[in-house]
Amino acid sequence: MGLPNVTFKRALSWLAGAFTLLAFEGLGVALGRWLELPVPGAVLGMVLLLLALLVYGSVPTGLAAVSGLLLRSLALLFLPAAVGVYFLRGFATSDWLALLAATTVGTLLSFLLTALLLQRLLRRESPGEDSD
Amino acid sequence: MTELLVSPPFILALNFFAFLLGLAIYRRSGTPLLHPIVGASAFTALALWLLHIPYGDYQRASGLLYALLGPAVVALAVPLRQNLPIIRRAAWPLLVTLVVSAALAPVAGVLIALLLGAAKPILLALSGKAVTTPIALGLAEKVGAAASLTVGIVVFSGVVGAVLGPPLLSRLGIRDQRVLGFALGINAHAIGTARALEISALCGAFAALSMGLCGALTAFALPFFLGR
Repeated sequence: MGLPNVTFKRALSWLAGAFTLLAFEGLGVALGRWLELPVPGAVLGMVLLLLALLVYGSVPTGLAAVSGLLLRSLALLFLPAAVGVYFLRGFATSDWLALLAATTVGTLLSFLLTALLLQRLLRRESPGEDSD
Repeated sequence: MTELLVSPPFILALNFFAFLLGLAIYRRSGTPLLHPIVGASAFTALALWLLHIPYGDYQRASGLLYALLGPAVVALAVPLRQNLPIIRRAAWPLLVTLVVSAALAPVAGVLIALLLGAAKPILLALSGKAVTTPIALGLAEKVGAAASLTVGIVVFSGVVGAVLGPPLLSRLGIRDQRVLGFALGINAHAIGTARALEISALCGAFAALSMGLCGALTAFALPFFLGR
């Protein structure tokens, strides 16, 4: 008797979580259109949801569950766009080489600079207290 | 026959199978080099080629997955909310590093490509290289960059950062896990955050925080800089 009730409640909280995500996406898209912002509507929705969660004080269970599921299957969601890489045409070899250099050297360079900057700033903030 | 091959149920099943396959390969190998998207996209591309399915038809039949990208971006607010309290411990160093690095990461990539004479579509796609994929796809649409190229760049940058970043820092004697996590989140996004979580919970929390904030900041700043 008790079991279906628990399942029903869980299903309801998942539905509420899914509805929250869709509602905030819709809200973000509408806000972006209204203010004529060039920012993607879903990102506005994410900021609005973050603000709402800060005001609410915690993350509802259903919302956490649905969000976790979506974020764990991200690779499935952007798979169709990723497959397009194999069908790109019209770039010269020099373009591909530039791309390779920019993504490898560029990423390592900015990785290094991010780390050096943050380390220096953290040291200055709390001298004596090293890594924890 | 061809109609069945380009119908949404068949294509969705193909995508789902490819995703599970990519996931299995990644779990078995345990290296970020074989992130699920690597195996999944290679398998799907091979299947499309063998079955003579044009990419455009495949894309159209995958509409449901594209539609879920928006809610996934909104869902990023949840880990961000959970990790936001971290920022109180060192607000200024974190915020300054965030703003500098969010600008530096795409600028470094674009400058290198520019010096090597890359075409404009490549430069545009590179501008989103420090942003997690679902946000980068939304941005690509806004700034007019090719979606596939953008995804390729983001994933490849993520793999490079997640594989080579941690040994690079340890060679330089930087062992602070907050620093490593923050650098992974900005420069290697979701793949870097997954790697950071394997290192420690502290490292993972800093990565999730910097990934979310960097994605949001870039989404607000980039369209204005590119004058759209």
